[in-house]
Amino acid sequence: MTRDDLKDYIASHFGDKLTALDTGRYDPLYELKAEHLVEVARALRDDENLKFDFLCNIGAVDTTEHFEAVYNLASTTKRLRLDFKVIMSHDNPEIDSVIDIWPGANWHEREMWELFGINIRNHPNLTRFLLPDEWDQGFPMRKDWDAPDFIRMPEPET
Amino acid sequence: MALIEKVPVYAEKIPGGSIVTTTLERVLSYGRATSLWYLLFGTACCAIELMCTGASRYDFDRLGMIFRASPRQSDLIIVAGTITKKMAPRLRRLYDQMAEPRYVIAMGGCTIKGGPFYYDSYAVEKGVDHIIPVDVHIPGCPPRPESLLEGCIHLQEKIKKQKLGDWHKKVRSYDQG
Repeated sequence: MTRDDLKDYIASHFGDKLTALDTGRYDPLYELKAEHLVEVARALRDDENLKFDFLCNIGAVDTTEHFEAVYNLASTTKRLRLDFKVIMSHDNPEIDSVIDIWPGANWHEREMWELFGINIRNHPNLTRFLLPDEWDQGFPMRKDWDAPDFIRMPEPET
Repeated sequence: MALIEKVPVYAEKIPGGSIVTTTLERVLSYGRATSLWYLLFGTACCAIELMCTGASRYDFDRLGMIFRASPRQSDLIIVAGTITKKMAPRLRRLYDQMAEPRYVIAMGGCTIKGGPFYYDSYAVEKGVDHIIPVDVHIPGCPPRPESLLEGCIHLQEKIKKQKLGDWHKKVRSYDQG
Protein backbone atom coordinates (compact mmCIF):
# COMPACT_ATOMS: atom_id res chain seq x y z
CA MET A 1 0.00 0.00 0.00
CA THR A 2 1.45 3.36 -1.01
CA ARG A 3 0.90 6.62 0.80
CA ASP A 4 -1.86 7.66 -1.60
CA ASP A 5 -3.56 4.29 -1.21
CA LEU A 6 -3.39 4.74 2.53
CA LYS A 7 -5.05 8.16 2.27
CA ASP A 8 -7.85 6.72 0.13
CA TYR A 9 -8.27 3.77 2.45
CA ILE A 10 -8.52 6.02 5.53
CA ALA A 11 -10.98 8.30 3.72
CA SER A 12 -13.27 5.40 2.83
CA HIS A 13 -13.05 3.45 6.11
CA PHE A 14 -12.45 6.11 8.77
CA GLY A 15 -13.65 9.18 6.88
CA ASP A 16 -16.32 10.09 9.42
CA LYS A 17 -13.89 10.18 12.38
CA LEU A 18 -10.49 11.12 10.95
CA THR A 19 -10.35 14.49 9.20
CA ALA A 20 -7.39 14.84 6.84
CA LEU A 21 -5.23 17.93 7.37
CA ASP A 22 -3.31 19.17 4.37
CA THR A 23 0.01 20.12 5.91
CA GLY A 24 2.39 19.22 3.11
CA ARG A 25 4.41 17.01 5.42
CA TYR A 26 5.49 13.53 4.42
CA ASP A 27 3.39 11.38 6.75
CA PRO A 28 -0.37 11.90 6.46
CA LEU A 29 -1.81 13.84 9.39
CA TYR A 30 -5.38 13.60 10.64
CA GLU A 31 -7.50 15.27 13.25
CA LEU A 32 -9.57 13.25 15.64
CA LYS A 33 -12.17 14.18 18.25
CA ALA A 34 -11.20 13.25 21.80
CA GLU A 35 -14.32 11.14 22.37
CA HIS A 36 -13.46 8.84 19.45
CA LEU A 37 -9.80 8.35 20.43
CA VAL A 38 -9.91 4.87 21.99
CA GLU A 39 -12.39 3.49 19.46
CA VAL A 40 -10.46 4.71 16.39
CA ALA A 41 -7.06 3.78 17.84
CA ARG A 42 -8.24 0.23 18.42
CA ALA A 43 -9.69 0.04 14.93
CA LEU A 44 -6.45 1.29 13.37
CA ARG A 45 -4.48 -1.35 15.24
CA ASP A 46 -6.85 -4.21 14.43
CA ASP A 47 -7.64 -3.37 10.80
CA GLU A 48 -6.43 -6.23 8.59
CA ASN A 49 -5.00 -3.91 5.93
CA LEU A 50 -3.38 -1.36 8.26
CA LYS A 51 -2.23 -3.13 11.43
CA PHE A 52 -0.78 -0.05 13.16
CA ASP A 53 0.87 -2.12 15.87
CA PHE A 54 3.49 0.38 16.98
CA LEU A 55 3.01 3.74 18.68
CA CYS A 56 6.26 5.62 17.98
CA ASN A 57 5.56 8.67 20.07
CA ILE A 58 2.97 10.89 21.66
CA GLY A 59 3.78 14.57 21.53
CA ALA A 60 1.92 17.36 23.26
CA VAL A 61 1.64 20.92 21.98
CA ASP A 62 0.57 24.05 23.81
CA THR A 63 -0.77 26.51 21.23
CA THR A 64 -1.90 28.89 24.04
CA GLU A 65 -5.50 28.50 22.75
CA HIS A 66 -5.75 24.76 23.24
CA PHE A 67 -3.65 21.67 23.83
CA GLU A 68 -2.93 19.07 21.18
CA ALA A 69 -1.73 15.51 21.57
CA VAL A 70 -0.04 14.17 18.44
CA TYR A 71 0.12 10.41 18.02
CA ASN A 72 2.67 8.94 15.59
CA LEU A 73 1.79 5.44 14.49
CA ALA A 74 3.70 2.89 12.45
CA SER A 75 2.86 -0.49 11.07
CA THR A 76 5.78 -2.91 11.29
CA THR A 77 4.22 -5.51 9.00
CA LYS A 78 2.57 -3.27 6.38
CA ARG A 79 5.32 -0.61 6.43
CA LEU A 80 2.97 2.34 6.88
CA ARG A 81 3.11 5.50 8.93
CA LEU A 82 0.27 7.71 10.05
CA ASP A 83 -0.13 10.59 12.49
CA PHE A 84 -3.21 11.99 14.08
CA LYS A 85 -3.82 14.70 16.61
CA VAL A 86 -6.42 15.24 19.26
CA ILE A 87 -7.38 18.74 20.38
CA MET A 88 -8.24 19.49 23.99
CA SER A 89 -9.49 22.60 25.73
CA HIS A 90 -6.88 24.81 27.37
CA ASP A 91 -8.74 25.19 30.66
CA ASN A 92 -9.35 21.56 31.40
CA PRO A 93 -7.15 19.34 29.21
CA GLU A 94 -8.19 15.70 29.51
CA ILE A 95 -7.69 12.69 27.30
CA ASP A 96 -8.29 8.95 27.44
CA SER A 97 -5.38 6.59 27.94
CA VAL A 98 -4.43 4.27 25.06
CA ILE A 99 -2.37 1.87 27.17
CA ASP A 100 -4.86 -0.93 26.53
CA ILE A 101 -4.14 -0.61 22.81
CA TRP A 102 -0.40 0.15 22.85
CA PRO A 103 1.26 -0.57 26.24
CA GLY A 104 4.18 1.64 25.18
CA ALA A 105 1.96 4.68 25.65
CA ASN A 106 2.42 4.41 29.40
CA TRP A 107 5.47 6.64 29.84
CA HIS A 108 4.51 9.00 27.01
CA GLU A 109 1.26 9.72 28.80
CA ARG A 110 2.96 10.10 32.16
CA GLU A 111 5.35 12.60 30.60
CA MET A 112 2.44 14.49 29.04
CA TRP A 113 0.72 14.59 32.42
CA GLU A 114 3.84 15.70 34.24
CA LEU A 115 5.16 18.39 31.90
CA PHE A 116 1.91 19.75 30.39
CA GLY A 117 -0.61 19.00 33.11
CA ILE A 118 -2.86 17.07 30.74
CA ASN A 119 -5.00 14.71 32.76
CA ILE A 120 -5.02 11.13 31.45
CA ARG A 121 -8.22 9.20 32.15
CA ASN A 122 -7.86 5.49 33.05
CA HIS A 123 -4.09 5.61 33.44
CA PRO A 124 -2.92 2.95 35.92
CA ASN A 125 0.11 4.79 37.33
CA LEU A 126 0.01 8.55 36.96
CA THR A 127 3.09 9.44 39.07
CA ARG A 128 6.03 11.77 38.73
CA PHE A 129 9.17 10.40 37.11
CA LEU A 130 11.05 13.06 35.10
CA LEU A 131 11.05 16.14 37.30
CA PRO A 132 12.70 16.20 40.75
CA ASP A 133 10.62 14.54 43.47
CA GLU A 134 10.22 17.80 45.39
CA TRP A 135 9.09 19.77 42.31
CA ASP A 136 6.27 22.21 43.09
CA GLN A 137 6.51 24.76 40.30
CA GLY A 138 3.75 23.54 38.02
CA PHE A 139 3.99 22.36 34.42
CA PRO A 140 7.20 23.65 32.82
CA MET A 141 6.38 22.89 29.18
CA ARG A 142 3.34 25.18 29.15
CA LYS A 143 3.84 28.40 27.25
CA ASP A 144 2.70 30.59 30.15
CA TRP A 145 4.96 28.84 32.68
CA ASP A 146 7.43 30.90 34.66
CA ALA A 147 9.76 30.45 37.63
CA PRO A 148 12.10 32.77 39.58
CA ASP A 149 15.29 31.41 37.97
CA PHE A 150 13.80 30.84 34.53
CA ILE A 151 15.39 33.10 31.91
CA ARG A 152 13.52 33.53 28.67
CA MET A 153 15.48 33.95 25.45
CA PRO A 154 15.42 37.65 24.49
CA GLU A 155 13.99 38.58 21.11
CA PRO A 156 16.76 38.77 18.51
CA GLU A 157 17.80 42.29 17.53
CA THR A 158 16.96 43.15 13.97
CA MET B 1 37.90 24.09 63.87
CA ALA B 2 39.87 21.45 62.05
CA LEU B 3 42.87 19.83 63.77
CA ILE B 4 45.25 20.98 61.06
CA GLU B 5 44.34 24.62 61.77
CA LYS B 6 45.53 24.21 65.39
CA VAL B 7 49.07 23.19 64.41
CA PRO B 8 50.33 26.75 63.77
CA VAL B 9 48.61 27.99 66.96
CA TYR B 10 50.54 25.57 69.22
CA ALA B 11 53.75 25.12 67.21
CA GLU B 12 54.46 28.81 67.02
CA LYS B 13 54.48 29.15 70.82
CA ILE B 14 57.72 27.14 70.83
CA PRO B 15 60.88 29.04 69.82
CA GLY B 16 61.66 28.14 66.20
CA GLY B 17 58.31 26.41 65.94
CA SER B 18 57.46 28.07 62.65
CA ILE B 19 59.96 25.70 61.01
CA VAL B 20 57.59 22.88 61.92
CA THR B 21 54.61 24.70 60.37
CA THR B 22 56.29 25.69 57.15
CA THR B 23 57.92 22.31 56.62
CA LEU B 24 54.68 20.47 57.32
CA GLU B 25 52.87 22.88 55.03
CA ARG B 26 55.28 22.24 52.19
CA VAL B 27 55.20 18.45 52.57
CA LEU B 28 51.40 18.35 52.72
CA SER B 29 50.90 20.72 49.77
CA TYR B 30 53.41 18.84 47.67
CA GLY B 31 51.68 15.56 48.40
CA ARG B 32 48.23 16.92 47.70
CA ALA B 33 49.18 18.67 44.49
CA THR B 34 51.00 15.74 42.93
CA SER B 35 48.54 12.97 43.72
CA LEU B 36 45.19 14.45 42.76
CA TRP B 37 43.01 11.40 42.36
CA TYR B 38 39.86 12.42 40.60
CA LEU B 39 36.36 11.03 40.81
CA LEU B 40 34.92 9.48 37.68
CA PHE B 41 32.01 11.85 37.28
CA GLY B 42 30.75 12.69 33.81
CA THR B 43 27.21 13.80 33.04
CA ALA B 44 27.46 14.99 29.42
CA CYS B 45 29.77 15.47 26.46
CA CYS B 46 32.57 16.98 28.59
CA ALA B 47 33.03 13.48 29.97
CA ILE B 48 34.26 12.37 26.55
CA GLU B 49 37.03 14.96 26.68
CA LEU B 50 37.73 13.94 30.27
CA MET B 51 38.12 10.30 29.19
CA CYS B 52 40.35 11.38 26.33
CA THR B 53 42.54 13.36 28.73
CA GLY B 54 42.81 10.31 30.93
CA ALA B 55 43.80 8.08 28.02
CA SER B 56 47.27 7.60 26.58
CA ARG B 57 47.45 10.52 24.16
CA TYR B 58 47.14 13.27 26.80
CA ASP B 59 47.83 11.08 29.83
CA PHE B 60 46.64 12.43 33.19
CA ASP B 61 48.98 9.95 34.89
CA ARG B 62 51.98 12.17 34.36
CA LEU B 63 50.42 14.76 36.69
CA GLY B 64 49.89 12.04 39.26
CA MET B 65 46.16 11.98 38.51
CA ILE B 66 44.43 8.61 38.55
CA PHE B 67 40.70 8.08 38.23
CA ARG B 68 38.83 6.61 41.18
CA ALA B 69 35.40 5.09 41.00
CA SER B 70 34.57 5.91 44.62
CA PRO B 71 34.23 9.38 46.17
CA ARG B 72 35.86 8.04 49.36
CA GLN B 73 39.16 7.66 47.53
CA SER B 74 39.09 10.90 45.56
CA ASP B 75 40.61 14.30 46.27
CA LEU B 76 39.23 16.06 43.21
CA ILE B 77 35.91 16.10 41.44
CA ILE B 78 35.94 17.27 37.84
CA VAL B 79 32.33 18.25 37.16
CA ALA B 80 32.27 17.23 33.52
CA GLY B 81 28.90 18.08 32.07
CA THR B 82 25.51 19.66 32.55
CA ILE B 83 24.12 19.50 36.08
CA THR B 84 20.35 19.36 36.14
CA LYS B 85 18.28 20.40 39.11
CA LYS B 86 17.53 16.76 39.72
CA MET B 87 21.24 15.90 39.71
CA ALA B 88 22.28 18.79 41.97
CA PRO B 89 21.51 17.11 45.34
CA ARG B 90 23.35 13.99 44.16
CA LEU B 91 26.40 16.05 43.21
CA ARG B 92 26.39 17.72 46.62
CA ARG B 93 26.15 14.31 48.24
CA LEU B 94 29.09 12.91 46.26
CA TYR B 95 31.09 15.99 47.18
CA ASP B 96 30.26 15.54 50.86
CA GLN B 97 31.38 11.91 50.71
CA MET B 98 34.87 12.80 49.48
CA ALA B 99 37.81 12.94 51.89
CA GLU B 100 39.00 16.39 52.99
CA PRO B 101 40.66 18.43 51.59
CA ARG B 102 38.69 18.10 48.38
CA TYR B 103 38.94 20.21 45.28
CA VAL B 104 36.53 20.99 42.47
CA ILE B 105 37.13 21.74 38.81
CA ALA B 106 34.11 23.05 36.90
CA MET B 107 34.64 21.90 33.35
CA GLY B 108 32.79 23.48 30.45
CA GLY B 109 30.16 26.15 29.91
CA CYS B 110 27.28 24.21 31.50
CA THR B 111 28.99 24.00 34.88
CA ILE B 112 30.01 27.66 34.81
CA LYS B 113 26.72 29.38 33.90
CA GLY B 114 24.41 26.82 32.30
CA GLY B 115 26.10 27.07 28.89
CA PRO B 116 23.72 26.48 25.99
CA PHE B 117 20.93 25.81 28.49
CA TYR B 118 21.08 29.27 30.05
CA TYR B 119 17.92 30.44 28.26
CA ASP B 120 14.56 28.69 28.18
CA SER B 121 15.51 25.81 30.43
CA TYR B 122 13.53 24.71 33.45
CA ALA B 123 15.80 21.78 34.26
CA VAL B 124 19.42 22.94 34.24
CA GLU B 125 21.25 24.35 37.26
CA LYS B 126 22.89 27.56 36.10
CA GLY B 127 26.37 27.09 37.52
CA VAL B 128 27.70 24.48 39.98
CA ASP B 129 28.89 27.36 42.20
CA HIS B 130 25.40 27.23 43.68
CA ILE B 131 26.01 23.69 44.92
CA ILE B 132 29.70 23.23 45.71
CA PRO B 133 32.72 25.57 46.03
CA VAL B 134 34.66 25.59 42.76
CA ASP B 135 38.46 26.02 42.63
CA VAL B 136 39.09 26.22 38.89
CA HIS B 137 36.68 27.02 36.05
CA ILE B 138 37.57 25.80 32.57
CA PRO B 139 35.55 27.44 29.78
CA GLY B 140 34.80 25.70 26.51
CA CYS B 141 32.01 23.65 25.01
CA PRO B 142 33.49 21.18 25.59
CA PRO B 143 37.05 22.27 26.52
CA ARG B 144 39.82 20.49 24.67
CA PRO B 145 42.04 18.13 26.66
CA GLU B 146 44.82 20.75 26.57
CA SER B 147 42.52 23.20 28.40
CA LEU B 148 41.65 20.58 30.98
CA LEU B 149 45.34 19.79 31.53
CA GLU B 150 46.07 23.49 31.93
CA GLY B 151 43.23 23.80 34.42
CA CYS B 152 44.67 20.90 36.43
CA ILE B 153 48.11 22.50 36.43
CA HIS B 154 46.54 25.74 37.68
CA LEU B 155 44.88 23.78 40.45
CA GLN B 156 48.21 22.16 41.39
CA GLU B 157 49.87 25.56 41.59
CA LYS B 158 47.01 26.81 43.73
CA ILE B 159 47.33 23.86 46.10
CA LYS B 160 51.10 24.32 46.37
CA LYS B 161 50.58 27.93 47.52
CA GLN B 162 48.06 27.01 50.20
CA LYS B 163 48.82 27.64 53.87
CA LEU B 164 47.81 25.24 56.63
CA GLY B 165 44.10 25.50 57.23
CA ASP B 166 43.42 27.62 54.15
CA TRP B 167 41.18 24.99 52.64
CA HIS B 168 38.98 24.74 55.72
CA LYS B 169 38.63 28.50 55.96
CA LYS B 170 37.60 28.75 52.31
CA VAL B 171 35.03 25.99 52.54
CA ARG B 172 33.61 27.36 55.76
CA SER B 173 33.12 30.78 54.20
CA TYR B 174 31.42 29.13 51.21
CA ASP B 175 29.04 27.15 53.42
CA GLN B 176 28.12 30.31 55.33
CA GLY B 177 27.36 32.00 52.00
